[in-house]
Amino acid sequence: MRRLALLLLILVEAGCVSGAWPRGSVEHDGLPPQKPPSAGENLAIIVNRDNPVDNLSTAELRRIFLGARGHWTSGRRITIVMMEPGQPERTAILRQICQMSESEFSNHFLHGLFTGEVLVSPKTLASPVGVREFVFNVPGAIGYLRVSNVDSSVKIVRIDEHLPNEKGYPFHVPAPAAK
Amino acid sequence: MNFCVLQLSNSFLSVKANRSRPLAQGLLFLLGLLVVAPIVCAQQPGETPGSDKETMQLLLKRISLLEAKVKKVDELEARIKELEAVKSQLAPAEKTAVPAQPTVASENESESAGERAMSERMDVSKTLLRIRGFGDVNLHGDTQKGDTTAFTLGQLNLFVTSDISEKFKFLSEIIFEGGPDNIYGITRGENNTFSVDVERYLVQYSYNDYLNISAGRWHTAIGYYNTAYHHSTWFQTTTGRPFLFDFEDRGGILPIHTVGVSASGSIPSGRLGLHYVAEVGNGRASRSPLNQEPVQNVIDEQNHKAYNLALFARPEAIRGLQVGFSAYRDLLAPANSPKIGETILAAHAVFIRPQFEWLNEALVDRHSVFGTSQVFNTPGFYSQVSKQFGSYRPYFRYQYVNAANTEPIFPDVRLRHGPSVGLRYDASESVALKLQYDYTALRGQAATNGLALQVGFTF
Repeated sequence: MRRLALLLLILVEAGCVSGAWPRGSVEHDGLPPQKPPSAGENLAIIVNRDNPVDNLSTAELRRIFLGARGHWTSGRRITIVMMEPGQPERTAILRQICQMSESEFSNHFLHGLFTGEVLVSPKTLASPVGVREFVFNVPGAIGYLRVSNVDSSVKIVRIDEHLPNEKGYPFHVPAPAAK
Repeated sequence: MNFCVLQLSNSFLSVKANRSRPLAQGLLFLLGLLVVAPIVCAQQPGETPGSDKETMQLLLKRISLLEAKVKKVDELEARIKELEAVKSQLAPAEKTAVPAQPTVASENESESAGERAMSERMDVSKTLLRIRGFGDVNLHGDTQKGDTTAFTLGQLNLFVTSDISEKFKFLSEIIFEGGPDNIYGITRGENNTFSVDVERYLVQYSYNDYLNISAGRWHTAIGYYNTAYHHSTWFQTTTGRPFLFDFEDRGGILPIHTVGVSASGSIPSGRLGLHYVAEVGNGRASRSPLNQEPVQNVIDEQNHKAYNLALFARPEAIRGLQVGFSAYRDLLAPANSPKIGETILAAHAVFIRPQFEWLNEALVDRHSVFGTSQVFNTPGFYSQVSKQFGSYRPYFRYQYVNAANTEPIFPDVRLRHGPSVGLRYDASESVALKLQYDYTALRGQAATNGLALQVGFTF
């Protein structure tokens, strides 16, 4: 019996050390608990903290990400920040907001620049840290990040009145398919 | 030493033999073991004064080697400092251009620096000049009398843009094209020489989404096709423009280019998505001989200016739909004949999605001769439909233009209509192969059959 108790104690301790056992959740800025990057989670639309916009409709967001809307209501030019092709966040944005494939998206912007209707092509950054820093530094920037990658340096915009941690929020990065 | 080991062995054996003795005896043994062990280790055999000397020499040799290495490291450090000083002198502007980093986001400084460098490299908008190229090569043959089957170099288009500032932008299309010009049926130039045309040349001021002002030379906002495809065949599904929208120097009937000032933007209209374009410019040349440049780039023949107003809607409810209307007004002054008022009314309804397109445009070009009751209406339309199947996009177009035989501005056009059918194959994201068959019926002449093979590309 004593041996059994000892074995149990060892197992519990081992679980805590390796991180397999939950040891409480960390929350910041009212956001949901962080998840490992590999898991599926909601995508937050972020803008510079000085941007007065708090809410955007899905249709407005689509117009912004396709370059059809080039200015904020303040008159400042909108700068779209995208992650590199192949990143799951970018794929989700193209599918859920732009409703386009990667090649359709690049053709759309090339054509838009050619006709003069699109003022500027999106900035492409490699990592969530880069996106966050760019949005922090550029007042007219808009981008997207997994909720777990957002911190207080940027501002999350409500989409159709929903925050990423609320029910009915539309944008989500699916979990990678199990091998 | 041998004695000690023996003594230990005896103690061990005695402990092993008397298991019933108290625990204190075992602890005593362990303590003894700990005390004796260093003594055992200290009395290793074979340690002589001669070996100490060798060790000393080895150590001295090792020290001198290490000193040499330290000297080398010092030299390298000095060299690095030197190079850094040179670098900072060469690029002081780069350092100041780096924006302040947020303290909250500085999790990994080296990663941030890498990101910044990468973002600067990838940030194409920060460069002063961006150039995109378009081109095409064709093989064309038809049954028209006098025509031969030939390989033809199409337009080599350098599309140049630059962000002058947040509000100002420059845009131009510089075209290298071969062959003679064809202006209302009159040819000029040699068959196989190349010439350079600046087809678009615009400086744009963007105040907000509702007001953009442009000055320079642009494609007149008549209908849809003229402002959607410009001089690139790669963007177009077909091998070329509908003849209604042919360029002025390729036999076209419309004032495709205008030099002047324009305003454009969206109109607050909610989900209707209304937009406007208002243009004022020199209009087309009419007084000078017809084999002269039809676009008045530098000097206008008269003080009267051409005006164009276009309105179109892109309703949110039907993604890809655009319907619009435009009205163009100009006064033409041909030499040795009365002035002619020109009015062009155009309407379009297009539905474009990545996998499907349906373009429909109709217009009438009205010429009224001053001082007479003569009015010449030239109607025209085209309809084009295509659908993408993987890399293949079959398409069909029917086009029609009907100008009177006595039309004072373009007497050579007359009636021409007919279908075109073709297949576009996207060999890669930047290269398209097209095969197109055209049948064109002409008033007073035999109909022509044409076959064209084109490779269009962007680079």
